[in-house]
Amino acid sequence: MRDVAVLGVGMHPWGKFADRSVTSMCRVATDAALADAGVEWREVEAVAAASSRFSGGKGWGLNGNDVVEEMGSTGIPVYNLSAGCAAGGNAFNIGWTLVASGVHDCVLVVGGEKMPKGFIQTSGLEEDTDPEHLRQLCVGMPGPAFWAALCRRRMQDFGTSEEDLARIAVKAHQIGKHNTNARFRQEFSMEDVLNSNMVSFPLRLYEICPVSDGAAAVVICSADVARKRTSRPVWVASSSVATARFDDGLPRGLGTVVPQAGPTCHSEASLAVGKALESAAVAPTELDLVELQDNTVFYELAFPEDWGLCQPGEAERLVEKGETLPTGKLPINPSGGFLCFGEATTAMGVFQICELTWQLREQAGARQVPGAKIALAQTLGLGGNATAAVLKN
Amino acid sequence: MTTHEQIPVTEGLFAETPAGPRLLGSRCATCSTPYFPRSAACHNPVCDESRMEDADFGPRGRLWSCAIQNYPPPLPARYEEPYTPYAVGVVDLDEGLRVVARMSVDDPDSLQLDAEVELTIEPIYQDDEGRDVTTWKFKPLESGGS
Repeated sequence: MRDVAVLGVGMHPWGKFADRSVTSMCRVATDAALADAGVEWREVEAVAAASSRFSGGKGWGLNGNDVVEEMGSTGIPVYNLSAGCAAGGNAFNIGWTLVASGVHDCVLVVGGEKMPKGFIQTSGLEEDTDPEHLRQLCVGMPGPAFWAALCRRRMQDFGTSEEDLARIAVKAHQIGKHNTNARFRQEFSMEDVLNSNMVSFPLRLYEICPVSDGAAAVVICSADVARKRTSRPVWVASSSVATARFDDGLPRGLGTVVPQAGPTCHSEASLAVGKALESAAVAPTELDLVELQDNTVFYELAFPEDWGLCQPGEAERLVEKGETLPTGKLPINPSGGFLCFGEATTAMGVFQICELTWQLREQAGARQVPGAKIALAQTLGLGGNATAAVLKN
Repeated sequence: MTTHEQIPVTEGLFAETPAGPRLLGSRCATCSTPYFPRSAACHNPVCDESRMEDADFGPRGRLWSCAIQNYPPPLPARYEEPYTPYAVGVVDLDEGLRVVARMSVDDPDSLQLDAEVELTIEPIYQDDEGRDVTTWKFKPLESGGS
C-alpha cells in the first residue's frame, strides 16, 4: 500500500439552512477543500461520497453524482457509500483505499446532509420484518432511550452521576464556542445543562446531539502528489471499517444473546479503532487527540475506556480534571463535537477528518491541541457500522 | 370497569400459554443460540449447522438496564393521550436471551438494576375500535402482582 496524504479540507458551516440545497452546501465544502489543496476540480480522479437517506442524491443516495454534476461532469468514477451515520467515515476509507492501492492519485471525499426536524428516526422501513420498526412499534424505544439505557448501566457499574454527564456537555461548549463552523457557540453552565429538559432519563436535552445541516470535503492524494504541492502534508496512518460482532450483547433489535464476558458496548467501534491503531502501529496512549462520535455524552465516557485510552471507570475523573480539554492529557472532540455541531449524519465522518487535519497543521486557533502529532477519528452508524482513521503530521 | 377486547400490537411475538406469558422465539439445536423474534436461520458465525426450533422464553430474568421515555415517541410507537412517560428496559432472561421491553413500573426509583423481573402482557393503548392493544412488559418481582 502507498502512503496517502490529506492535501486539502473544507467545510460548509453546520446549522439549519432552509434555503440551501445539500448539493450547494457540498459545493461550498468542495470548493474550500480544493482551494486548500491547491488542486483544480479537473485534477480530481475519483469521488467517494457519503450516501444520504434524507437529502439530495436523487432519492437513491447518489450524492456523489450530484456533486460531480455540480462541479462539472468530467466522466470520473463515483462511489456512493451507505453506512448510516458512519457513511462519511466509510467514504473516507474507500477514498483512502483507492489512493493507497495505486488506483488513483487524487480523490475527493465528500459528505453533506440536510436533516429533517426532530430526533433521527432510525429505520426507514415500516414493515414487521424490520427489527427496528418492530422495536419502535412494540416497545417504543427511540435512539435517546437506547443511549439512556446504556448510560444507566454505566451509572450502576461505575457510580457515574448526573453531574458527571452534565460536565461533558459543559466541556464541549467551552471548546466549541471557538469553532466558527459550529452551530451552537455559547457556553453552558452546569445549571444550564442540568436544567435542560429530560429527554430520556438519565439523559437531558443538552447531553444529546441535535440534528443539523452541514457538509464537509477532503482532498486526499498519493505521497508523490503531496510532496509536490505542500511542505507540510498530513498523513493518513490508517483507515479502517468494521461491523458489529454477533455476541457483543448490545440491544440493537428486540433480542440478542447475553454476552458471555466483558463490558457491553459497540463492538463495531472497538474493532474499527483497534484495527486503525494496530495498522498505524500507534498505542492508545500515544494519541494526542480524538474526535469520537458523541451522539450522547455517554459515549465520551464509554469509548475511551473501550479502546484502552484510559482505565475502566476513569473517564469521569478525566473529564472532571479537565484532561479531555485541548490542553489536557486526553483531548476529546476539540472541534466541539456533535454536541456543538449537531449531527448532519453522513457528513460527520468527513467533518472529523477536517478537524484532525486542522489540528495536525496547528490551524485550530483557540481550540488547538498544543503540539498535536497523532490523532484518531471514529464514527458509528446504523446496521452495526463503524469506521476509524489515524492521521499524523 | 369494562373489560375491553385485547389484541396484540403485532402477531407472533408473545402469547399467554397455560404456563403463563411467554416470548415466542427460536433456538438453534446445534449451538443453543436463542433468538427473539423467531429466526429462520442461525446467525451465529461459529455455528456449524443451522437447526432452528421454535422456543418460548420467560418469564424470569434480571433487569440489565432501563431508561425513561420522557417525551412522546414518534410513530410507529403509540400511546394513550395525555402522554405519560414510560419506562423501557433491557432484560437478561434466564435462557441467555437479552430482550428490550416496556416495564410495568414507570418510576425510575422503583427500577433497580440487576433486580429479578417477570414477564407480563399488558395494554399500552386503546385503538380506534376501543380494543386494548397489548405488548410484553416486565415487572419487578418485589412489587408483587399487578
